[in-house]
Amino acid sequence: MTKPSSSLRWRVLLVLTLAAIVPTVIVGVLAIVRARADVEREVNRGALAHIRAVGAALDGTLQGARRTVELAAATWADDPDDARRTQLLTKRLRRDVPIVSALSILDAEGELRHGDPVPKGVDVGSHSFGGYIGDAQHAGGKTVVHLVVQARSRTGELMGVFVASLDLEFVRDVIAAARLGDGARVVVVDGTGVPVASSEDVAGRVPGEAWVGPPGSLAGRDPAVDRALASTVEGTLTANGWVSAYRNLSSYQSLRGVRWAILHQQPEHEAYALARRTTRDTLIIGGGALAIALALGVFFATRLTRPLAALAHRADAIAAGNADAGSPIKGPGEIGVLGQRIDEMARRIAERSELQTALARGDRLASVGVMSAQVAHEINNPLTTVLGYAKLLQEDKPEGHPDLAALELIASEAERMKGIVGGLLEYARTPRQSERGLETPAAGGPTYEFNCQPAAVVRHVNALLGPQLKKARATLTSEIGSTASIAIESHSLQQVLVNLVQNSAQAMTEAQARSDGATRGTITIAVKPAPGGIATLITVSDDGPGIPHKDRPRVFDPFFTTKAAGVGTGLGLAVCKHLIATAGGSIEVGDRADGRGAEFRIVIPNA
Amino acid sequence: MPVRSCVLVILAVVACGGQAPAPAPIRFLHTFGAGETELFNATISGSERFAVESSLVPFARGQQVISEILHTATSCPDLIRIDATWLPGLRSELVPSPPDLAGLDWTPEAASLVTIDGDPTRWAVPQSVDGLVVVRDRERPAPATASIDDLVAAARAGKAEPRSYPLGIRVDGYWLLPWLRSEGADLSIVSVDVPGSTGLDGDGAVRALARFAALFGDLAAPPPPAGSEAPDELRRWQAGELAYWVTGPWQLGALRDRDRLAVSPLAHAPRGGQLLVVPRCAKHPADGWKLAAELTAVAVEVRFAESFGTVPTRRSALDAAPPLARAVYEALRAAEPLPRDPRTPLLFDDLNPALAAVIAHDATPDEAIAGVRRAWRRLAAGVTGHPPEGPP
Repeated sequence: MTKPSSSLRWRVLLVLTLAAIVPTVIVGVLAIVRARADVEREVNRGALAHIRAVGAALDGTLQGARRTVELAAATWADDPDDARRTQLLTKRLRRDVPIVSALSILDAEGELRHGDPVPKGVDVGSHSFGGYIGDAQHAGGKTVVHLVVQARSRTGELMGVFVASLDLEFVRDVIAAARLGDGARVVVVDGTGVPVASSEDVAGRVPGEAWVGPPGSLAGRDPAVDRALASTVEGTLTANGWVSAYRNLSSYQSLRGVRWAILHQQPEHEAYALARRTTRDTLIIGGGALAIALALGVFFATRLTRPLAALAHRADAIAAGNADAGSPIKGPGEIGVLGQRIDEMARRIAERSELQTALARGDRLASVGVMSAQVAHEINNPLTTVLGYAKLLQEDKPEGHPDLAALELIASEAERMKGIVGGLLEYARTPRQSERGLETPAAGGPTYEFNCQPAAVVRHVNALLGPQLKKARATLTSEIGSTASIAIESHSLQQVLVNLVQNSAQAMTEAQARSDGATRGTITIAVKPAPGGIATLITVSDDGPGIPHKDRPRVFDPFFTTKAAGVGTGLGLAVCKHLIATAGGSIEVGDRADGRGAEFRIVIPNA
Repeated sequence: MPVRSCVLVILAVVACGGQAPAPAPIRFLHTFGAGETELFNATISGSERFAVESSLVPFARGQQVISEILHTATSCPDLIRIDATWLPGLRSELVPSPPDLAGLDWTPEAASLVTIDGDPTRWAVPQSVDGLVVVRDRERPAPATASIDDLVAAARAGKAEPRSYPLGIRVDGYWLLPWLRSEGADLSIVSVDVPGSTGLDGDGAVRALARFAALFGDLAAPPPPAGSEAPDELRRWQAGELAYWVTGPWQLGALRDRDRLAVSPLAHAPRGGQLLVVPRCAKHPADGWKLAAELTAVAVEVRFAESFGTVPTRRSALDAAPPLARAVYEALRAAEPLPRDPRTPLLFDDLNPALAAVIAHDATPDEAIAGVRRAWRRLAAGVTGHPPEGPP
């Protein structure tokens, strides 16, 4: 017995699943990785753009201040002793450079000549290539940076030093003008990592457990600050949950010597929010697609394997000899075709089985027929003798002789036996024509007529059986709708029609007997062209009780009869079928069109 | 061993591993150029052997910033890369190098950079040797000798048309030094012969300045805007405008076709270098020297030489260095070190503007040198320019 195709279903499901999962996973992973890379690139690009913008603004402001102070210093150096001119110069300088919060002018010896006291710790004489911008100083709530410019005369000789304190409030303004993303901040730190300005208060944002530097310094606490101070190029760094872009301000030409750095920092979860959403959406869509694909896979696998399972069951049934089991197998495509083929195979196997059964029965019947013919032939002669002597003895006995009744019975039974023997001989007789048109009458043998006029035969049968039918209270009518000759011996057709009419009459007689003779039956012989016009249809119908469905398959079998014992031989319909089949026609039994009575339909090819 | 014991051991190991204190990073303050900084960050700083917290100090403010840091002892680094001219001024803030480093195969020129005025104490580890040399295409003839006159003669021979400028020199006192020295002047504020005088006191300084300034517009191109000298020289060399380029190894790393370069010595050229020093305030001086040893390891020196034309300080590294680095070293052997005086770097503050004024025709050589002499005398008198202490 074949096992159910569950393993096949799972294999099909596995194939479909792999076919769905692998591409989905690959596409999903690629989409996520690609989205992450794209977002990272865009985040970094945007952050660096912020830095450049802030740096350029910072650089531009400081550069402008430096140039103005340098110009003022050079102008002052031409005549450092002119106090009024110096006063006007410094006044104009403060007006032109509003970020100057304090200004000191020293002479070449380092003595204060004009302006504010020099802040503590400002180096005005060291090796500084003519000036510098120092680290940020935080005092009094202000953050300033000191710009030191050497004032040199026309000949390049040092005449003094300008020290300008630049208020870095403008840096905060520049940063504030930047449109930052969610959670993002911009921080400017000096060379020690101390925030100079930022878009928010960063002091204390990073735990400072390991740092020993200046208070508030982010160096050593924020890896991005360390990287920025240690690098000469701009770059990005993701660390401690922050995405940082940095640039050392010494890369700006006008700020050479400045040790500051600018950082744009954004929490990683904010910076990559778009990537996270893309990842989430991809997972949802991919998961949904995967689930749908799996569901479809299950559906199609089941649909695909269900006919296969049915085919397996059908094959098992066929193997078990039940070729007719089950309804037709339906399926898509090749599976449907395969189902049809198996159905066809099963049908043919059934037909072959039936055929084999029929052949076996036919062989048995043929053997019976041959044996019956031999027996009949052997019995026929002594029977004729018995009948003859019985007739003679009847004639020899005077009327009223007590033996006459017995002799009469012997004669009548002998007659009946002769009829049976005649039927057997008729059934066993094999006409020499096997195919229409090939028959050739044997010399001296009986002749065969193949241009039979069914109407004439019907009239003859009517005349022949009229009295009998009248006695049976039945009426025989005929409907002749075709005048075509048909390819059957007239005698054979007559025998067939007589048999059928007599059967109908007997059936109606029995029915009348059960109804106390209150009814009168009608038997109709109809002749009309068969569909297609190449044959003639002859129907014999009655309004009798009909033939039960269960008996119909066997009514043409020899010795099958529903009549009372001794009434029929069971050979009539078998002979009819034999004669019709021999002529190349067919005979079948069914109900009359109106459902009342039986109807035999005979189709015989036209001559 | 029972499973429970194994689990406990594993947990103990994991716990101990997780709580092991990370080594303190080595704080490194340096003056590397952009490319050198990135190479350092990408290799040594990021290696497993060293945890380095480095900070870049622009060279222009290096001496000033480092002096401030060492003076205040805040954010004190464990190792500092300085110019050799800064060493005398920083000596009091430094610790001598360990003997094991002193015994390495330093070249004589490198070894001379770490001592001061005959004092055998080694204050540093030499990281590179530099100075001025004459660079040319190898197809071009070398100057007849290393003298300035032959260099000028060779450049004049290479002058293809009236407006071409085959000689590459810079408006900088460092470049002026060979001319000063050739005329008997020098970069000093303490003359050997007359205490309290300067190296510019004689007429030679004026002549040297006049000769040097006369080259601009004749054999040397008019100076570009201040601050753009290096890229301008590089552009002109790449364009083939320069036949003889007076420059240092720091410029050679950016050149293409370094195999086509030839190097000649320049008489009286200055020679110096870069040093690695450990300050007294360093929290981890041993780690500082360890990083210094790594930076002067043969493989590292060779790598810097290959990448940037840096001249190695160790003989074995020099032997493995590219030919160009060896050629620069050979040319620098004839160069003369700068005076080992704390004030030497400061002398350029006044020399450079004076030189620029002469070349711009704002001053005569006489005027310019006179101003420099006054400035140097002030410096010699101890006037440092530091103002009196004022309010913060």
